[in-house]
Amino acid sequence: MKQKLRSSVQIILLFALTAVGLTGQSYPGKPKIIRCRSLEKETFSCWWKPGSDGGLPTNYTLFYSKDSEEKIYECPDYGMSGPNSCYFDKNHTNPWTTYNITVMATNEIGSNSSDPQYVDVTSIVQPDAPVNLSLETKTSASTMYLWAKWSPPPLAHVTSNSHVYRYEIRLKPEEKEEWETVSVGVQTQYKVNRLQAGVKYVAQVRCMLDTGEWSEWSSERHIRIPNGESPPEKPTIIKCRSPEKETFTCWWKPGSDGGHPTNYTLLYSKEGEERVYECPDYKTAGPNSCYFDKKHTSFWTIYNITVKATNEIGSNVSDPLYVDVTYIVQTDPPVNVTLELKKTVNRKPYLVLTWSPPPLADVRSGWLTLDYELRLKPEEAEEWETIFVGQQTHYKMFSLNPGKKYIVQIHCKPDHHGSWSEWSLEKFIQIPTDFRIKDMVVWIIVGVLSSLICLVMSWTMALKGYRMIAFILPPVPGPKITGIDTHLLETGKSEELLSALGCHGFPPTSDCEELLIEYLEVEDSEDQQLMPRHDNGHPSKNAKMIAKETDSDSGRGSCDSPSLLSEKCRESRAILSTLQTQDIRDVQENNGGRHWETQCIASEQKILLFNHESTKSSTWPAAQLPDNQPPMFAYHSTVDAHKITLCTINVNIAPVLAENEEKHQPQYPITETVHDNMEKQREMENLYSKTDQATVQVKQNRPNDKSPFLKPTLMDYVEVHKVRQDEEPAVLLKHKENSGKTEKYTVPGTSKEYTKVSTVVDHNILVLMPDSRIQHISVSQEPAMETSQNLQQGQAEKNMSYCLTVPSECKRETSASEYMDPSSFIPAFK
Amino acid sequence: CHTSGMLTPNRKEYAQKIPREELTHLILKLLQAWKEPLSHFNQHIEHHQELPDDSLSKAKQISNMVHELKTGVEKMQSMGIISNSLNGMASSEAAGLSISNEANMMSDSDFIHCFRRDSNKVQSYLKVLKCRIMPENSC
Repeated sequence: MKQKLRSSVQIILLFALTAVGLTGQSYPGKPKIIRCRSLEKETFSCWWKPGSDGGLPTNYTLFYSKDSEEKIYECPDYGMSGPNSCYFDKNHTNPWTTYNITVMATNEIGSNSSDPQYVDVTSIVQPDAPVNLSLETKTSASTMYLWAKWSPPPLAHVTSNSHVYRYEIRLKPEEKEEWETVSVGVQTQYKVNRLQAGVKYVAQVRCMLDTGEWSEWSSERHIRIPNGESPPEKPTIIKCRSPEKETFTCWWKPGSDGGHPTNYTLLYSKEGEERVYECPDYKTAGPNSCYFDKKHTSFWTIYNITVKATNEIGSNVSDPLYVDVTYIVQTDPPVNVTLELKKTVNRKPYLVLTWSPPPLADVRSGWLTLDYELRLKPEEAEEWETIFVGQQTHYKMFSLNPGKKYIVQIHCKPDHHGSWSEWSLEKFIQIPTDFRIKDMVVWIIVGVLSSLICLVMSWTMALKGYRMIAFILPPVPGPKITGIDTHLLETGKSEELLSALGCHGFPPTSDCEELLIEYLEVEDSEDQQLMPRHDNGHPSKNAKMIAKETDSDSGRGSCDSPSLLSEKCRESRAILSTLQTQDIRDVQENNGGRHWETQCIASEQKILLFNHESTKSSTWPAAQLPDNQPPMFAYHSTVDAHKITLCTINVNIAPVLAENEEKHQPQYPITETVHDNMEKQREMENLYSKTDQATVQVKQNRPNDKSPFLKPTLMDYVEVHKVRQDEEPAVLLKHKENSGKTEKYTVPGTSKEYTKVSTVVDHNILVLMPDSRIQHISVSQEPAMETSQNLQQGQAEKNMSYCLTVPSECKRETSASEYMDPSSFIPAFK
Repeated sequence: CHTSGMLTPNRKEYAQKIPREELTHLILKLLQAWKEPLSHFNQHIEHHQELPDDSLSKAKQISNMVHELKTGVEKMQSMGIISNSLNGMASSEAAGLSISNEANMMSDSDFIHCFRRDSNKVQSYLKVLKCRIMPENSC
């Protein structure tokens, strides 16, 4: 085992060596972290020294982790502090954490990692050395002392300058070895008292932050302490100026005085002359200056000016300055700057500036000519706008913004030669906002008008929104051919269509009645079997419809009493649905789109009540009817009709119910057979029960019967043709065709419309009145099929009333179902 | 400078005191004194390859301007604008100056320096003259 290990190691070494030997390349050497340093405790840098690179290009990466955390980060900035360095900026530096730093060298072959270095930022703080060290000797009260001044080290990367450094200064005579170090504190200057005169000193300064180490010592500064026996230092002439091209003044700066009081003299000579003059006036212009008055000023001649410093020991002369007065003219700034706002013809404001030349300048004689320049800016702006004006002393400015405050300044210069003067004092001007009354009035009017319009519109919308909508977006009328059911059109049953169009006999089954109401043949049996009349499609619709029957009626039978349905119909719902379906289909086939009857099978009562709940409960507007049933009444008006649905039970359905119902027997047969109306008529027993059924009572006044209530005779269910809800609310009932089925009922005659609601009884019973005036036309066949109503109408037109009630209990999704119990019906048929 | 010998007012008071005709005469004299040296100078610097073209054209321009100025002042003088009397003083004296070798021996920098000074003199004198003759125009 060991041997194997050893041999494998040997092999590996061999490989490595051969690799090295062959190629001369290997993995890199171990880098070494030289130092880490922070300048100000907010950032720090680390430098490393690479090891051997193994002959291949090597990449160095620095990894660090904080305190004892596991997570390892990489250096945020490699280049900032130079090559082989890593700079940690403010965001990555935390003074209170210890950094564990390693540098890894990687090349193609492999990598090598340095030893980890633990860095605590506060301990590695070392600022840069102070800068700008200056030394000066000063004499006061015959003692000489040395002034040392310096500046704190500059910080490049960190913005906050609120670092407080402590300083130390050290100095020694040049020849000596030992330094004398003095702690200065936080000041940036220091006064040295004990000096040896005549000795050359050298000084240095260093600084430190509150934590960390001292910086390096700054560069050396030397100074020679003048002993009491030295001549003064050479003065220097600063400048010479002429304020008005008539006189001029020169200023100089004295050097060190060498320990003794020093006199300064200014000497000059003119061009072409040998004679040397002394300054005529040392006082007028202040200390260390010389004033040449008019008499002593000559133009177009060069002056040779020097300053001589003299003390007890000796003297020293400054460098000469050659001056031609014509070229050193610099006047005072212009005065009397006035700003005035004027208005143009268009009432636009513009600024007129005027000023005067400086008082000393003699422009009048032409001896001195000045050029002017002005600058202005809005108060809050940063940049000045400078305008060269020339020799005039006024200016007009047009392009100013109203409402802003401007600052204006002017300065001047002698033309061609000389320097610009200082800027004059700032002058402020406020531009008034251009407030045209006319404009404001216009805007106010516009605003008021538009708000008025908005108000009016919103008000009208609120009040008559509905009508407005109707007005603006009128509902699309369907093809209102009486007798044609839109639903029919939609479904595309050609037969019905054609029949609707009045094709006699074309449709095989239908009579081209406009309205065909199908009746189911109901067997009076316990089984409650209903024989579907036709086998048509559209079961879904009915089913849907049935499903909607959620009446919660009290259970009394009524034409379409929900209770009846709910109680009795549930069981046989399926059948019912089928029946209904077929019914509907039939109806549709027969062009009798209006199928609104739902038939309820009352077991006990054997009443089949076809009651289209949905349709019933649906309001008049056909639109409300879901697609399942063709709307009974193709009403497309958006009339929010009373929720009345007439339960129309064609033929023989004698719904009943009213208060009197109880007294009566179920008298209303419900017959639904489309074809065999007659027979079925009686079969149907419509039992509406009783009492407070919300039922629709269709009361028909039989001849000679003025009773407003139902007669125990056959009640006729009339299909409601439409509900008119305009000025004359009317429920138009379709007259039933009554071809011979019930002799009783056949009443040829005019179709009747029951349009008028004579009364509303009990808040939920509408008593209709037939309106014989209205001819019910549309289908030609119609006259043939007149319902019993017609028959009876003739007699008791006025008294025919149909109660339309809205049974509250009747439930459908939306509202109570409505039933109509026509007092007598004549089954309609084809 | 070759015109240093000329006695010209070197102070404002002198310039204001000197009679107009004399001042005009001085101006013309100065302008005349520079006519020849300028043309000589132009010839001289044309051979200097290191000067940019701007300088050469500028120098030519300057000599033209001097000539025009002189012509203008002479015209004004002959028209009697400057003085009330017609004065056609010849400036032979100035002509003599310009021919002298002194002008030709100046170095370029001295030449330019002298010319600058004299042109400034001429300008100042003309301005003083202007404000004396017509004080209402921006004086």
